[in-house]
Amino acid sequence: MIQVTDLQKAYNGVTVLNIPKLSIPHGESFGLVGNNGAGKTTFFRLILDLIEATAGEVEIDGQKVMRNDAWKSLTGSFLDEGFLIDFLTTEEYFTFVGKLHHKSEGDISIFLDTMKEFFNDEILGSKKLIRDFSKGNQKKIGIAAALIGEPNLLILDEPFTALDPSSQIRLKRFLNDLQTRKNITMLISSHDLNHITEVCKRIVVLEKGKIVKDLQTNDETLNELEAYFAV
Amino acid sequence: MLILNLVKQEWKKSYRAQGFYKNLAVSIMLGLFALYMAVVLLVLGFSLNTILEKADSKLNPMELFNGAMLYIMLLGLTFRFFMQQLNTLNLPPYQVLPIKRSTLINFLILKPLASPANYFLLLVIIPFAIKSVAGYYSVAVAFRFVLSFVFLVWFDSLTAALLKRKFGSGLLSFLLIILSLGAVVALEYLKVFSLFEFSRVLYDFIVLKPYGVIFPLAFVSIAYLFNKWYFSQNYYPESFNRKMKGDRTVTADLSFLNRFGIIGELIGMELKLILRHKRTKKILYMSGFFLLYGLFFYTNKTYANSNGMSFFVAMFVTGLLMIMYGQWVISWDSSHFDSLMTQNIPIRTYLNANYYLMIAFNVLCFVLTTPYFFFGEKIIYMHLAAFIFNMGVNVYLLLFLATFNTKRVDLSNSSAMNYQGTTYKSFLIVLPILFLPMIIVGTLSAFISLKVALWTITLLGFVGIIFRNQLITICVNQFNRRKYKLAEGFREGE
Repeated sequence: MIQVTDLQKAYNGVTVLNIPKLSIPHGESFGLVGNNGAGKTTFFRLILDLIEATAGEVEIDGQKVMRNDAWKSLTGSFLDEGFLIDFLTTEEYFTFVGKLHHKSEGDISIFLDTMKEFFNDEILGSKKLIRDFSKGNQKKIGIAAALIGEPNLLILDEPFTALDPSSQIRLKRFLNDLQTRKNITMLISSHDLNHITEVCKRIVVLEKGKIVKDLQTNDETLNELEAYFAV
Repeated sequence: MLILNLVKQEWKKSYRAQGFYKNLAVSIMLGLFALYMAVVLLVLGFSLNTILEKADSKLNPMELFNGAMLYIMLLGLTFRFFMQQLNTLNLPPYQVLPIKRSTLINFLILKPLASPANYFLLLVIIPFAIKSVAGYYSVAVAFRFVLSFVFLVWFDSLTAALLKRKFGSGLLSFLLIILSLGAVVALEYLKVFSLFEFSRVLYDFIVLKPYGVIFPLAFVSIAYLFNKWYFSQNYYPESFNRKMKGDRTVTADLSFLNRFGIIGELIGMELKLILRHKRTKKILYMSGFFLLYGLFFYTNKTYANSNGMSFFVAMFVTGLLMIMYGQWVISWDSSHFDSLMTQNIPIRTYLNANYYLMIAFNVLCFVLTTPYFFFGEKIIYMHLAAFIFNMGVNVYLLLFLATFNTKRVDLSNSSAMNYQGTTYKSFLIVLPILFLPMIIVGTLSAFISLKVALWTITLLGFVGIIFRNQLITICVNQFNRRKYKLAEGFREGE
């Protein structure tokens, strides 16, 4: 699904990301962990063609992402608030995104019904604009919008932070369900080692822009990661 | 002492803001502009006596000016109502400190009076008072004349702030004010009630009698007390915000746009953006004023005789919204740029949506400016040529050049003279769009004929309309080249 070759990103001559080779097969749930500044968000932005790679390239489904529009219909993503259009109401926003993926009003309302539990009755039905929602609820809106186009690839940056405990558990259940039911490829970054090992089948550790560990998740993975990050 | 501290902190707030130094070039240009205005006003001040003496009237210059005084007050009030930014000290951090309430309130009310912009017109008043009033009457009268004008400025400033706080600057108050101004002018014109006469008698009395200035001072005090009363009723910030929450639900029904597919959705989104942010709404209101620009120029003989200048005005009014909105055409989306770039929107579609929006603005402005056709045949041809040129050339120029504006635009900031997000590049963008056609028309009509000049402009426009697809492709390529610079610039807050 994603093919990374010789990818490098440097700012003012300082290399912040250097991934010689990485391939993420279709249907894999891929977790990315690393301390602040390890290059997680940079990597995501490179995949989404929001910043220009210094060298190398990323392909989604055989298509180079750089200055290309083709991958956009396959991909759902939410990195930060910049991915929301915050002067719309939630309904307007979901309709807008849905229409971009050629969904009908009916499709969209069916989709929103499936999100009901995740939204916990706080998101829909009010005339509130997105900018007036709390950070946690904005995150829920962003995640839902990323899913509305039934993407083959889902990219989420720190989806668990700012969510309340119940929502974290709901989100975990929801993501696991998506994998088994729809076989979506997922890229998720997180600081929470517990959550990420529960959601992802493969976990990659980034440090200072380099891949230092590439693990298939098993019973020992959590301990191994905790040992790695222990100071 | 405390007030001094508050002033200091406000000052710190402005120069510690990021971007204060970055915008040096812009500040210098604005400074030069202010200097130019100052010189113009001074010259006006010194020549006003001669101008008014020539007027066809038995009244002397000061009496004439006094007659205009209440008009100046009303116009000033209107202008301030829309332009003056409310002095909003961010109250909550101060509310918890042991500072007396009344100190804070006085600061909020009185600080705008210290703004030098208020006293700009004194550059006209003082020379006029020295040259004319002192000559016709005495130095004491001249002094009272100036003083009464200062009081008028204070009254305007305080009243405008009060009205704005109380009623907000929505479309309704805009219409109300325009209507009442129109009513006053109509009454004067139909000789039912002359505000001019009333104003002349009132201000002659104020200026000539030694105790006359007490009256305007009393009005200033009343305005001040009203302001104080308003704050005593609404001290807590939440009561300010209540109104804002109310009008959030304004959702224009734009569902008719659905028929146009993704482009329609995008245009709908841009329209909502315009209608739901203070800064963009302000641009709409200001455009309303600017549409009247032609009234000043087409009636003025020196400008009307210069073909280049007339065409400049024609292009400005027929392309008003497109130019005002279009120079920021990509920057408006800066806060959600990442979203648009990762959603299922091909770049071409995105630019096409903005293109059609600007075309719609063009058609709207062209229709709204058709009353100018009464100014004669020449204006009709000029407007038609300008309209075609805007549709065929300027649209693409704006789409192309807007990719150089890489600064994040803060949409919630409302002040009319808002230069946040402005760099020297913004000026460079507008220059060719406004002045190039003016130069073309000016030179061609001087050396050949106006007819040839306008046909050249029109043909250029038609060529642009015919090669629409190719020109959009150029804009798409340019956008793709600049995409990362844009995304990076927009992600950086101020």
